Amino acid sequence: MTLLTLTSLRKQYGSVAALDGVDLSVTAGSRTAIVGPSGCGKTTLLRLVAGFDAPDEGRIVFDGLTLADGSSQVPAHKRGIGIVAQDGCLFPHLTIRQNIGFGLEAEATVKNARIAELMDMVGLDRAMLSRKPDQLSGGQQQRVALARALARKPRLMLLDEPFSALDTGLRAATRKAVTDVLTAAGITTLLVTHDQGEALAFADQVAVMRAGRFAQVGSPREVYSRPVDAATAAFLGEAIVLPADIAGGQAKSPLGVLPVDDVAYRGKGEIMLRPEQVTVMQDSSPDGSSGASGTITDINFCGPTSDVRIRLGSDPQGFSFRLDIPSRETLAAGDRVTIGVAGAAHLFR
Amino acid sequence: MKTSFTLAAGVALAVSVLALSSPASAQVKDSLTIYNAQHEGLTKEWAQAFTEETGIVVTIRQGGDLEIANQIVQEGANSPADVFLTENSPAMALVDGKGLFAPIDKATLDQVLPGFHPANGNWVGIAARSTVFAYDKTKLTEDKLPKSMLDLAKPEWKGRWTASPSGADFQAIVGALLQLKGEEATAAWLKGMKENATPIRGNSTAMKAVNAGQFEGALIYHYYYFGDVAKTGENTKNVGMHYFKNQDPGAFVSISGGGVLASSKHKEQAQAFLKWVTGKGGQKVLRDGTSFEYAVGKGEASNKMLTPIADLQAPKVEPSTLNNAKVTDMMTAAGLL
Amino acid sequence: MTSITDTRISIAPRHRLPAASFWTLTIAVVVALLALLPLGFVLWAAAVTGWEMASQLIFRSRVGELLANTVLLVVFTIPICAVLGVSLAWLTERSDLPGARFWSWLCVTPLAVPAFVHSYAWIGQWPGFNGLPAGVAISVVAYFPFLYLPLSAAFRLLDPALEDQAASLGLAPFAVFRRVVLPQLRLALCGGALLVGLHLLAEYGLFAMIRFDTFTTAIIDQFQSTYNGVAAYMLALVLVLCCFVLLGLEASLRGRSRYARLGSGVARRPKVARLGKWKYAALLVPAVTAAFALGIPVLTLGRWLIAGGAGVWRIDEVGLTLWQTLVICLIGGIATTAAAVPIAWLSVRRPTRASRFLEGCYYLASSMPGVVVALALVTITVRAMLPLYQSVATIVLAYVVMFLPRALVSLRASIAQVPVEIEQAAASLGRSPGNALLATTIRLAAPGAAAGVALSSLGIMNELTATQMLAPNGTRTLAMAFWALTGEIDYAGAAPYAVLMVAFSLPLTFLLHHQSKKIAGR
Repeated sequence: MTLLTLTSLRKQYGSVAALDGVDLSVTAGSRTAIVGPSGCGKTTLLRLVAGFDAPDEGRIVFDGLTLADGSSQVPAHKRGIGIVAQDGCLFPHLTIRQNIGFGLEAEATVKNARIAELMDMVGLDRAMLSRKPDQLSGGQQQRVALARALARKPRLMLLDEPFSALDTGLRAATRKAVTDVLTAAGITTLLVTHDQGEALAFADQVAVMRAGRFAQVGSPREVYSRPVDAATAAFLGEAIVLPADIAGGQAKSPLGVLPVDDVAYRGKGEIMLRPEQVTVMQDSSPDGSSGASGTITDINFCGPTSDVRIRLGSDPQGFSFRLDIPSRETLAAGDRVTIGVAGAAHLFR
Repeated sequence: MKTSFTLAAGVALAVSVLALSSPASAQVKDSLTIYNAQHEGLTKEWAQAFTEETGIVVTIRQGGDLEIANQIVQEGANSPADVFLTENSPAMALVDGKGLFAPIDKATLDQVLPGFHPANGNWVGIAARSTVFAYDKTKLTEDKLPKSMLDLAKPEWKGRWTASPSGADFQAIVGALLQLKGEEATAAWLKGMKENATPIRGNSTAMKAVNAGQFEGALIYHYYYFGDVAKTGENTKNVGMHYFKNQDPGAFVSISGGGVLASSKHKEQAQAFLKWVTGKGGQKVLRDGTSFEYAVGKGEASNKMLTPIADLQAPKVEPSTLNNAKVTDMMTAAGLL
Repeated sequence: MTSITDTRISIAPRHRLPAASFWTLTIAVVVALLALLPLGFVLWAAAVTGWEMASQLIFRSRVGELLANTVLLVVFTIPICAVLGVSLAWLTERSDLPGARFWSWLCVTPLAVPAFVHSYAWIGQWPGFNGLPAGVAISVVAYFPFLYLPLSAAFRLLDPALEDQAASLGLAPFAVFRRVVLPQLRLALCGGALLVGLHLLAEYGLFAMIRFDTFTTAIIDQFQSTYNGVAAYMLALVLVLCCFVLLGLEASLRGRSRYARLGSGVARRPKVARLGKWKYAALLVPAVTAAFALGIPVLTLGRWLIAGGAGVWRIDEVGLTLWQTLVICLIGGIATTAAAVPIAWLSVRRPTRASRFLEGCYYLASSMPGVVVALALVTITVRAMLPLYQSVATIVLAYVVMFLPRALVSLRASIAQVPVEIEQAAASLGRSPGNALLATTIRLAAPGAAAGVALSSLGIMNELTATQMLAPNGTRTLAMAFWALTGEIDYAGAAPYAVLMVAFSLPLTFLLHHQSKKIAGR
């Protein structure tokens, strides 16, 4: 069942189009991530859904109700949509208890019981209830913010880069905790982030956004393995993009003949490999195994991995690319290597 | 930090140099410092004419009668003042009581009307003013006017009149009442006044309020009326003047005084100034100027617009014993101050 | 930040900096002692008067009347100012009010008109408007900018995300304003209200002109009758107690919490509320305020200037008065700022409990009404320090006591903007510590110092109460001349002096507005 549908949403700020025709449908109980570089319009999208801003054009339908259609607009406080902002956005003048209970309308005992329950849910010590927000760590603040938003049992939760302000170590743990809570509560979630790893790890559905439009919407695996273009591929992770001649599901490329995921296409094109498909072996004998051969032109040791640049073939002007490989003591610049490829290459259409 | 300290010290030094140089400038040989409680315009006119005639430079410090009198008492022998001019006698009596005046030259005393200087001759009258009930002509007719100032404390006058009790003028009137009728009667009258009158700051303002119809009358001095008539008359259109006469306390004529400080380092110039003020030149300023105060020099007529001073039937009051400290205490006790 | 600063400084040669700190601290302590002189004097006077005499002078019906007047004045004026200030600040900062910037300037401009000139202007229009209603009305137009300024700055600093957040939690717009916006304005409201309250207690001219008696007018009455009698001391004591009550109320209402923005990141630009069909109704609020706060003074002054013609511009008198005023403003402004330098430097570079305590002393001292400061200094100098009696030094000291916090705020902000590293860089390039300080921090803080001089000069120019009690012989400021002339109801003659005060105050008022914007980060 579809809970949220966005249709041709447009929003201008001055002469800049923040949203330039966005369509999206979100299934009830699912987790959707909107990922894109900063300034792509993803936060604007979230603010339109929350009701903080009105779209210039387009429709927002939530649970069968039209929240926004052109100029008519249901105000934020009547939407019943929860939001957790980037820095938690706790009310600095209120205690944790008052923050969590802010949107609750109930008699004191019911309210306090619900607040305690929410504290447990987000894994915070009830002893913190009487503190002020500035006495909590960033991660704790985010959990309070989540509890506050959960208090009203929203059907849709919006997460606006809620983990980006946290330290690296805390980020993963907090994300896991939030995901678990939302899954347990069965709340549909829309996450906005610029961190592709976070988006891929979190969501059932990923929407890649660029310049006010969705470049691609799909499952995490789909958008990662079969991106629509080189830019999307590069945004979601390291990619080796090669020119190739394609015919019958085979691509002739500088890395030799590789299988591609499109059997119908014939002609010139660009194919993409993810680094994890590529293995680099040090040549023990000049005429060793199958696969393309090349030369390491540059190598930087970075601990467990090394960042290498490999030039294919023997032509000094030949095709070259960079790659992270597991560090090996024996490798050095100038060494000859053989490159192996696992699985099919992805053809950009 | 050292440099900024030097900087701060430098500024402090500069400030104190300026500070010390300022009172010192008043000590120039041919100069006079007047502590003036008279109307500023009048004293300025006197001072300018005096300076033109004698070349003696005059510095004026402005203030109220008793403010300055008390100030002089506090300053004692160190007072920078050479001459003290007032609007009323009590302030003079106060300073004289502390023995801070030098005797006035006999020639000067002889210039003024008898009774217009205290018997000891330590100060001299320079001008005079008469108490008056300025009333709203549109509301009161002659027959409805109070016969005596004492009537104003009666219940029927509740909420109908105004005065400026914080001013020395009014306090001089109360001083005369005290001398004429005694402490008990004065305290009772002040109590009635607290009930009946609305205090206003300033006699001009009080008269203006009467003219605007806010009150039926105001107990003030005469010259505010004539001053306004001479200017635009806009604050006197509806105002009539009622002199109590009959030696009533309300017919009190207050003597403005001038004295030379015993501590003065310019006594000669100070005596010359008072001689000039009480003489032809100074009294002419009263007659022809815009002050409309009565002249007190022998043979010196006052402004033609004024009721002659002899017709005022003023009660006999000894100016040297008007006790203002007692008056302010009593007014403080009555809640008027 | 401070901890980093401190460790770095401890690496520097030890024998010099502590010495510098010691001397700075010593000067700061001396200034604080001087500043507390008036307060100390009033307490001393109360002690020597003795209980019997004191209670006789304090527990009398006149004091009761004055107390009632004062309480009524404060109770009516402050809430009206607060509502007006919040409305105007919201309209100019957070709504699409046409010409918001223009109105914002107009909301500060009434500060350029001295309170007693406001009074003069209203009396000129409505001669019968007197007593409490007049006191409240004129106080509101004269003092509401003291609330408008901090409130508009607070609105600018509010994180609009909090309001969005509250809406997402189901609060309707008005509830958001009440539960999220208003509580965050508390600091600004309390601070501004305190300032208004202290002005109400200290003001003389405004109330004297409309026949409304407060402790200050009563003290002046006593002063004019007895110079410095015991009755005046006792009224001053009650007045000082009233100030303490206000300070205590403010401290307890303000609370201890900070409302700083949590977390990192830059606050979004506040959202602008659409007034829609209310736009023109909303315009009435600033328009009516401006009509009363600026229109009336302009109208009255204009009328009297026309009535007076060229004759009232007596160049010898007006010119001399203007010159004397400017000189005394400049000396006072520079002295006030210089006196604030040590504590400003200490509070930024060496913030300790001692420096905070000293700062508290300055603020406490400056909240004493001018009439109390002047009464104390007159009595102390005439009795014990005659060479300083009636000197420029004494009146300047009064100004330092009254206006030091104004200079301190500007100075501290500008010193804080100079990173201590710059000072250290200069030292590493071979300058001696003092020289390094002069070449860097002092030089870079100069604009702040200039602003400090300007703002304290603004206060001095419009000061009447203390000035007329302390002015050296022969000195006369614009305010004094204006007051003397209005006392003789020569309103036309007084007009040029009022016009000059306003003309010189205007640019300084705009500086104040600009500064508050800068402190708010925009």
